[in-house]
Amino acid sequence: MNVLLPAMIGLPLAVALLLLLVRGISDGAAVRIATGTAAVNLVLAVVASVQAAPFDRSGPGLEVDASWIPALGVRAHLGMDGISTPLVLLTALMGLLVTAHALRVRPSAGRLPGLMACFLAVEGGALATFTSLDLVLFYIAFEVVLVPMWFVIALWGDDKQPPRPRPRSTPLPGGQAARTDAAWRFMLFTAVGSAIMLLGLLLVALQTGTTDLVVLADGAGAGMSHETQVLAASLIVLGLAVKAPMFPLHTWLPPAHTIAPTGGSMLLAAVLLKMGTYGLVRIALPVAPEGFETIAPALGILGMAGAVWGGLACLVERDLKRLIAFSSVAHMGFVLVGVASMTPEGLQGALFVNIAHGLITGLLFLVVGSLKDRHHTADLHVLGTGLRDRLPTMGWLLALGCFAGLGLPGLAGFWGELLAIVGTWGGEDALGATARPLAVIGVVSTLIASAYLLRVLWSIWHGPREERWRSDPDITDATAHEVALAAPLVVATVALGLLPWLLLDITGDAVRLLLGVGGVTP
Amino acid sequence: MNSVQAIDFSAVAPAAGPALALIVILLVDAFAPRGAKLSRVHDLIALLGLVGAGGAVAWLVRTDDPAATLCSPDPLGCSYISSGLTWTLQGLVVGAAVVCLMLAVDSDVAADRTPHHVLFLTATAGALTLAGARDLATLVVALETASLPVIGLVALRRDARGAQAGVTLLFTAVASLGIMLSGVALLLLSTGSLHLNRIAFVLSSPELDHSVRAVAVLGTLLVVAGIGFKVSVVPFHWWTPDTYAGTSLPVAAFLGAVSKIAGVSAMVIFLTIGLPVLGDSSAPVLGALAVLTITVGNLVALRQRIAVRLLAWSTVAQAGWVLLPLAAVGASKPSAARDAAAASIGYLVAYVVAGLAAFGVVIVLARRHPDGEQHSLQAYRGLARTHPAAGIVLGFALLCLAGLPPGVIGLVAKVVALQPVVDAGMWPVAVLAALNVALGLIYYLRWAALLVQQPEGEPRSWKVTPAEVLALGAACLACVVLSAAPELAAGIVPDMIR
Repeated sequence: MNVLLPAMIGLPLAVALLLLLVRGISDGAAVRIATGTAAVNLVLAVVASVQAAPFDRSGPGLEVDASWIPALGVRAHLGMDGISTPLVLLTALMGLLVTAHALRVRPSAGRLPGLMACFLAVEGGALATFTSLDLVLFYIAFEVVLVPMWFVIALWGDDKQPPRPRPRSTPLPGGQAARTDAAWRFMLFTAVGSAIMLLGLLLVALQTGTTDLVVLADGAGAGMSHETQVLAASLIVLGLAVKAPMFPLHTWLPPAHTIAPTGGSMLLAAVLLKMGTYGLVRIALPVAPEGFETIAPALGILGMAGAVWGGLACLVERDLKRLIAFSSVAHMGFVLVGVASMTPEGLQGALFVNIAHGLITGLLFLVVGSLKDRHHTADLHVLGTGLRDRLPTMGWLLALGCFAGLGLPGLAGFWGELLAIVGTWGGEDALGATARPLAVIGVVSTLIASAYLLRVLWSIWHGPREERWRSDPDITDATAHEVALAAPLVVATVALGLLPWLLLDITGDAVRLLLGVGGVTP
Repeated sequence: MNSVQAIDFSAVAPAAGPALALIVILLVDAFAPRGAKLSRVHDLIALLGLVGAGGAVAWLVRTDDPAATLCSPDPLGCSYISSGLTWTLQGLVVGAAVVCLMLAVDSDVAADRTPHHVLFLTATAGALTLAGARDLATLVVALETASLPVIGLVALRRDARGAQAGVTLLFTAVASLGIMLSGVALLLLSTGSLHLNRIAFVLSSPELDHSVRAVAVLGTLLVVAGIGFKVSVVPFHWWTPDTYAGTSLPVAAFLGAVSKIAGVSAMVIFLTIGLPVLGDSSAPVLGALAVLTITVGNLVALRQRIAVRLLAWSTVAQAGWVLLPLAAVGASKPSAARDAAAASIGYLVAYVVAGLAAFGVVIVLARRHPDGEQHSLQAYRGLARTHPAAGIVLGFALLCLAGLPPGVIGLVAKVVALQPVVDAGMWPVAVLAALNVALGLIYYLRWAALLVQQPEGEPRSWKVTPAEVLALGAACLACVVLSAAPELAAGIVPDMIR
């Protein structure tokens, strides 16, 4: 039996438990323990990825399969293939970055052992989600991240947010109320989503008589009537769409991202959202392909609606953290459209956006969190212009994140959205008559993305130095620590932009196998 | 007909344990010299009785030799059957009773040791007998034996609140007995038998007359309503919060655990052994009742600020979850009744274990809090920091009840309970129940979140008694073991449902 996968999942969870149970661990020790654990885990994840290669065979490259709950037919079946490997690496990297971030930067409230335990628990749960090959195990792993993330927002979130009474249609609470509101929104939306998903998973398990994802993917919906497939796919997609998030179920995301501490926002964006889209690719699409094809147009339309809606919200949003949260809604909309196209290009694009968005948004949240820590606000108008002169390193990191986010060729953001649009254009089998209009709207929404990110640069990066911060001694440029944290994200963003095949080769064969098509994918 | 029925004493041994213990307690009490300090002796005798029952169950499981006893000449007419289903329920009753006894021995109700232990053991013996009852008369008598002594337990607290709670429970018991007996009479009228297996056989006959079937359905619904009082199914739940809040907390724990197991046992045995063929008539009603119970319990629990009242309403919701799988008894699959029974009992195991752990911490805290048993949730602020062991046990138990990892057993239990309903295609019921998962976790999580917040004021130090340590340790250990190996609860597929 291979111990690598259980170790990779078990280690952060065990250390999290340790941090919770052992009393009297100082803040500094807790962060060092957590950072060390996350570093070891990153090594484990890299070794596991190497062992899982090559990715052109059918079935997972690295596998653990043991009996767990025979009465329900549930097995502890873990595995890594081309679809899960990039996400496992991204999760392990983010785990290290968010724990290392706390080495120098303290959240505004609360003690650190608990926060570190929550971060590690989220990492362990996400790794379990990305590697589980059993429906019920996936569901349990999916739920593992819920409580720790809720605590991250509810206990360590920003409780000094000023209330925002305008616009009167959507006022935002401030202070403690904002934190409670954000934490409960996150919890209730995602809990309802996963309960609905559970019904779909149970339906699949009962109709096919197995919960094993490898068997189910091989069967490609065998044993289920068309109506059952549609019902199962609808329930699973609806449940996962809350997490992804899909318009109009995205309203939990902006407050959660805004209120969470920097590390929490990075994990939410780079890891939690991916669990939703990963579930679509791993479960909904292969297990009930006919049903998925039937609801694909609806998924495509709503995904694109999210891409446009998120972009439009970004055009008027003043809070920079909230703006990046809305841009996540937009990017994840592209992922949904790409998956809905059911073409190799679209799926490749979706998986590429998944990773690129994780890296880029992680970087943006890191930079914006640092800005907010220094200025105690993330309001574009208050931050003022001239960041590139005031804080040059920080300014350039922000600029790089924005350029990558708007899909500048040569950076990671470009390829995924290009492929998703190409896939949508050719996805008439699944999307029907909506394919081409959706592709055209996709192009428009990338233009909107350029507009809002250029607006950000115009508002705070460019222009004369803002005078009000001149005399504040707290406001310094990025520290070596922050640069070191940003470096892996910057390197990966540039590397994937220049050498996209690094990622496309890993996912390509898995996608071909998933869709059961031959031929060459980009 | 022969006049004397043969009794297989080994089969009924589990119920004999507490019965013998209560006789010994009465004898010791009668012959002991006046003024002798006997409380620990009584505790020991009661504990030995329960352990004896547990040993008998373990022995029956080990020999694995299902037996039928108290049989009439009718081959389908045995009143007591000792089978996998029986042993599972009995094991659960014994475990819950031991924990309840340990929670009770240091409380004010147990100041009068003799009446408390006698009533306690009588109710436990009733619950143990109920697990093997296979005819309607035995079922009703055993259920009443399990529930009537609880009225005494409730009224042992000799104040106005205790009296009111006792009277409420008495009226409930009388009403439910009346309803149940009229249901039993209608079933006897329509099928000519009290034996559940005979009833099932008669009702499954293809020549069954429509009017006979209608009478049987009516009888079934009346019996379900009668048992519904015992398990506080909405709309028969109104006694629950007042009784829980009015009685002493260990008795409330007994009501929430042993009495609940007894009621659910009766429901499972009645529906899955006696009336699987009427399933398609009773299923919609049961489904509606279960979902209504879960929803009402959750909604009211949301608004509770007193810990024990919150627990009381949450037991109402949990009872709905236990009954949920029984709504699928009528599904067309031949194994539907068996699957439903297994799912219902699987959920019951998870609920009893986690519920007792939560109750245990509430009892321990209530004894040391200035507001006593009426303390509010705010009393738990910072408990995990000031009293880590209690805080961790309660936090874990609440997550198990909410069904969120790390309380894996609660999550698996929800999977187990939903599965038969999804299998039967009862989508409105399934969707409403699934939405209630989210509703339920609000109040459990809100409570759990209080545990880790900054404590208010000076923490008082506690000295926990050995009995409390034993009770809390056992319940918490069971939660942890079940979470690591959910198979132990999910895998209870009672063989030999007869």
